[in-house]
Amino acid sequence: MSLIKIALAGEGGQGVQSVAEILAEAAYNENKQTIYIPNFGLEQRGGVSIAFIQVSDKRIGAPKFSKADVVVALSERAIGRTAGYSDMNTLFVYDSGFMVKPEELPREAKKIIGIPAVDTANRQLHPKVFNIIIMGTVIGLTNVVSFEAAKEALESKLAYKFEKNPDLRELNFKALAIGKEMAEQSLKEGVGSNA
Amino acid sequence: MPKIFEANKKAFITGNEAVAWAALAAGAEIMFGYPITPQNEVMHYWTRLAPEYGKGFLQTEDELSAGFTVCGAVQSGKKAFTATAGPGNVLMQEPFGMAEAMRLPLFAVIQQRGGPSSGTVVYSQQEVTLTTFGGNGEGHRIVYSTATHQEIFDYTIKGFNAAWKYRFPTFLLGDGYQAKMREPLEMYNPEERGIEMVKTYPLVGLEGKIGEDREPQHLCNIYSLEEELYEVVMKFAAEHEAISPELVEYEEKECEDAEIIILSHGVVSRAADDAVKILRAQGIKAGYFRPITLRPFPQKQLREAINRRPARKLLIAESAYGQLDRLTKQEIYGETVAIENLFMPGVGIIDYDIINKVKSIL
Repeated sequence: MSLIKIALAGEGGQGVQSVAEILAEAAYNENKQTIYIPNFGLEQRGGVSIAFIQVSDKRIGAPKFSKADVVVALSERAIGRTAGYSDMNTLFVYDSGFMVKPEELPREAKKIIGIPAVDTANRQLHPKVFNIIIMGTVIGLTNVVSFEAAKEALESKLAYKFEKNPDLRELNFKALAIGKEMAEQSLKEGVGSNA
Repeated sequence: MPKIFEANKKAFITGNEAVAWAALAAGAEIMFGYPITPQNEVMHYWTRLAPEYGKGFLQTEDELSAGFTVCGAVQSGKKAFTATAGPGNVLMQEPFGMAEAMRLPLFAVIQQRGGPSSGTVVYSQQEVTLTTFGGNGEGHRIVYSTATHQEIFDYTIKGFNAAWKYRFPTFLLGDGYQAKMREPLEMYNPEERGIEMVKTYPLVGLEGKIGEDREPQHLCNIYSLEEELYEVVMKFAAEHEAISPELVEYEEKECEDAEIIILSHGVVSRAADDAVKILRAQGIKAGYFRPITLRPFPQKQLREAINRRPARKLLIAESAYGQLDRLTKQEIYGETVAIENLFMPGVGIIDYDIINKVKSIL
C-alpha cells in the first residue's frame, strides 16, 4: 500500500478528531505505518478542526501535507477551510445537504462527492452516528483499513458505551456499513462535480 | 527498579505520552510543572502514572518555580524533570541559567510552539536560540533535537543520563507536532537494552568532614569578585568543550557526492529525508545532514560532509526565521560553501517545499 493522505475537517464537537483517532488506531492495529495529527486552532471556541492522517507501508515523513488523497468536510465552513488541500488527485467529500455555492467548492479535484450523511443519520439511524457514517465513507473511498479493523477499533474505543447499551454497537456498525456503501456507490456511479 | 514494561512494548501514542513513559522508564522520581500547550499532556500522563509507580508530581505556581524546584530536587539527589514550551521556556531561562551556573543535572523537555499567547500555540522551531543559548550564561547545555516518537523515548532516557553524568542542564527539544501526533514506537526498560542508568546522588547534606573526609561541594550561585566568576565560567567552558566530542550526534545521508546538502533538525528533517530521496530519484545530487545535538553542535562532522565532494550549496530548512541558520554559521565559520535558506517560521515544512527550493537555487 502506498501512502494515503486523509484530511478530515469539521466543527469542534462534531467528533472529527475521534473519528481520525479510531481510523488511525485501526491502521496501526493492521501493522501499518500511521501518523495522526490534529490541527489545533481555536476550535474549542468555535473554529474548524482538522485532522491529518497518513497511512503507509513505509516510514512516513512530515506529519502534515499540502494535498490530500481524500478530504472530508463535515460542515459548511469546513469546505472553504479545506478546499486548498484538494488537487487533481483528491476525492473531495462533503455532505450533500449543505448549502454550498459552487465557487466555495475546490477548484481542483479528482471527484467532488456529495454524501447524504446528515440526512441518513437523522432519518435511518441517529444524529450522533453521523461521524461514523463519514468514517465508513473514508474506508469505502480509500480502503485505508479493512472493515473488520475499523469495527474492532470502534469496539475498543466505545467499549464502555457498548457495555452500557448494546444497541449502540449495532447502530455504530450499521452507520459504518452505510457510509462505506455510499462511498462505493458514489465511486461506481461516477458521481461528478456537485452531486 | 521494578520493570515498567513487560517486553519491548509496541505503542501508538502521542509524543507527550512517550515523554511520560520514557521518564518513568528512566527512573525519574518527580516532575515539577506548570501547564502550557503543547506540553500539557506530559504532565497529564505523568500524573496518571505517578501514583501507580510511587512517583511524585508538583504543580507549581508558575514556570519560574517549576524550574527552581527542579534545581532544588536534583540537589537533594532526586531524579527530577520538567516540561514546558514557548513563554514557559522564556520564564524557565532563569532557573535553567542557574542550573548552568551551578552545574545541576536538570532535565527539561521543550515542546516548541508558535504564538506568544493563545491561538496558534502548537508548532514552530522558534525556541532553538532560547533552548541552546537562552539565559544569562554561555549556553553550557546539552540539547537533543528529536524527530520521531522513538527518538523522544530514546533521548529522554539518554537525556537523564547525560544530565547526571556531565552535570550540564540537558534538554529534549521537540515541538507541538511531535507532542500531539500519534505514531508507533517501541518502549523498553533501559537495562534490558544494556543501557545503564547513571545513579543519582545528593549534592548537599553530605556525610563527612570537609577537608578531612571529603572535598567541599561548591554549589555557588553568588560570586563577589568578577575574577571569581571568570574562573568558573572558563572552567565550565573548557569542560563543556572537552566532553563535546563524545556527546555530539548527527545523521548524514548521501553527502559523499552531494552538490547540495540540506541541513535541518527535528521534525523538519523527516521532510528533508524524503526530499533527498525524491531529488536523487530525479537525478539531483542532494545530501542530508541533521544535527541531533544542537548543543554541542556536530560542527566537525558537518564541515567534513560539506567538504567531501565538496558541496556547492548548503540549504538550511527550518520552521523559524534563521535560528538554525545562525547557529550553523557560527559553528562552521570559515567554510566557503554558499548558504541558502528555506525559512518557514511557525509552519510545517513538507518534502515538496524543500524540493521546490532546491530546484530554484540549483
